[in-house]
Formats: sequence, structure tokens, C-alpha cells
Amino acid sequence: MLSHVGMLSWSSEINQIPVNVRAITDSSLDPLIPGGDALLRFVDAVLARSTVDIGAAVAVVMAELGQAGLVDAAAVIGNFQMMNRVADGTGMPVGAGSRRRHADLIDQLGLDRFDHTDDA
Amino acid sequence: MTTEEEISIRPDLAENLRRTWADLARPGAKWTGAQRLAIAAEARRARDRALPGSNLPGPATEASRLLAVNPAAARRSWVETLVAAGLDHKSYVELLGVVGRLVAVDTFYEALGLPPRPLPAPVAGEPSGEISAQARPGRGWVPMVGGTSITQALSLIPSENAELERFHGPMYLTFGEMSDPTIAKGLTRPQMEVVASRTSALNECFY
Repeated sequence: MLSHVGMLSWSSEINQIPVNVRAITDSSLDPLIPGGDALLRFVDAVLARSTVDIGAAVAVVMAELGQAGLVDAAAVIGNFQMMNRVADGTGMPVGAGSRRRHADLIDQLGLDRFDHTDDA
Repeated sequence: MTTEEEISIRPDLAENLRRTWADLARPGAKWTGAQRLAIAAEARRARDRALPGSNLPGPATEASRLLAVNPAAARRSWVETLVAAGLDHKSYVELLGVVGRLVAVDTFYEALGLPPRPLPAPVAGEPSGEISAQARPGRGWVPMVGGTSITQALSLIPSENAELERFHGPMYLTFGEMSDPTIAKGLTRPQMEVVASRTSALNECFY
């Protein structure tokens, strides 16, 4: 998660698109980027495996981002279902440099609660 | 329910799904094609909250199920227990790759309202026994090549790591494309990262 919140922050800055990264862990907040809220609801529905909620979320993503956006969102979710398992299943550590670079994000989003790489 | 024909899937993505599915059925480094499909089926059963139903060894059944439904619960001590019970690191790494891709493809289909893709028939043959001679223990829980890195996570079995990398590109970005903050496909890069970050948050994956 830390890697991609960092990439979200970095890519938004380069593209000069405002973003509220706290929306990643706080569902009451709007991420600000175009289509961002629809994408967050879509991820929530897919991970919950709720057929009804997926149907509703798909309609919103289709309306805001079109079919290509919907298919790519589904693919990205699938990819990170895999990568999260690979990272957690191999005990992939976050390096000290990355921790330092993203200390503000770790603090803002309370990410340390997810760190179990050393059986913490 | 939607059908695959009603959804326009990019050709490279469709080919990736087809190739990945075929790969699941082939003999790997430590598991036969039938065993790899049994791992995939066990992962599916776990996600569907069904009881275990394979002839896999107990540690492989346990690993398939936990990695499918609750990977954040994995711990170094858990992996060490599996290894002590006979699921060696090579078998574990290959199993992890199979479960990861199975869950990825099933999630993709579910997200689009498509029925699950039926598992293919197994391809006959013996496991290759492939293992990297360069892999070494590091900060992670399994040996890797060239230090502990997410891009080398499955490198104890080079074909598994290559398969992970091949799968990753069409689904999201290639490892090379990840350095481009302005890249866009059906989504802009920030939109991709919103999806990646939220998925990882819900899976409670710190990395």
C-alpha cells in the first residue's frame, strides 16, 4: 500500500492534479482526482464481493470513465489482489529509505498498523 | 449476468488472461498440472467459504486457503511451520504464484459481472525441478535472487517470477512503465494508483 500511495502522490503532483491521499483509508473523504470517488466505491464493492454493489458501482464508473476505464480498473484491482498476496506471502519489507521518504504518508494514513513483516 | 462478448477487453489483456489460464494447467517446477489446478480450486473454495476438497498435502491446502482469503494473516513463523511440515520453499513459492494469479483473474471477472472462468484441463507431465542457483535467504521469508525485492519475490523459481512479470504488464503496468508518472491507458496514472492503493488498503497490505 505504501508504495502505491507514494506513486499516487507523486503522479498527481507531476500531472498537477490535486489529490487527497487520506481518502484512501478514510471512506468519508473525496480523493479529488477525476473519477476518484467512483473508483474507490468500485474497489470497495469488488473486494466485498457484493453483486448488487458491484452492479451499482459499475454503472457509475461507466458513466464517468467509460468502458475502457472500467475494464482497466477491474484489471488493476485484479493485479493488486495478486501483488498483495505475493508481498504478504513473502514477507516483503519496506526499506528504511522508503520509510523515510514516505514518513508523512505513513503518519497521515496510520499505515504502521498494517506492518507485520517481522511478526510485529 | 454480463457475457464476455458484451465487454470490450483490450486484446493484450484478453491474451494475458488466456495465456495465464493455460499456464496454470501446465506442470510447474514442483507441482504437476493437476496439482496446480488443485491449488487453484482450493483457493476458489476458500474464497467461496466452502470446505477443503482437494487431495493436496495438508500444508499445501492450508497455504492455498489462507493466501486466497486472508494474506495479511501470513507471518514468518507460519511459513516456517509450513516448511517444517514438508511444504518446502520451492513448493510454497510456486503455490503462492498460482494462488495469486487465480485470485487476480477471478476478481477481474467478478468486477465486470462475468461468470468465473472454468478451470482448464491439466496438461500431463512431470514438474521440471527448476530452481534458481543464485537465490539466497534475505530479509523476506523465502530465498530470492539479488536481494529482497518485490520484482524478485518469486525468483526462487525463475519461471514463476517471469510469469508474475508477464501478467503484471497488461493488468496494470510493466515494471518499466511504472517509472512513468504520465502514462495513461483506460485510466490516468493517478486513477490507477487510487485503485491500487485502495485495493491494498482493504487487503491490509503494508508494502
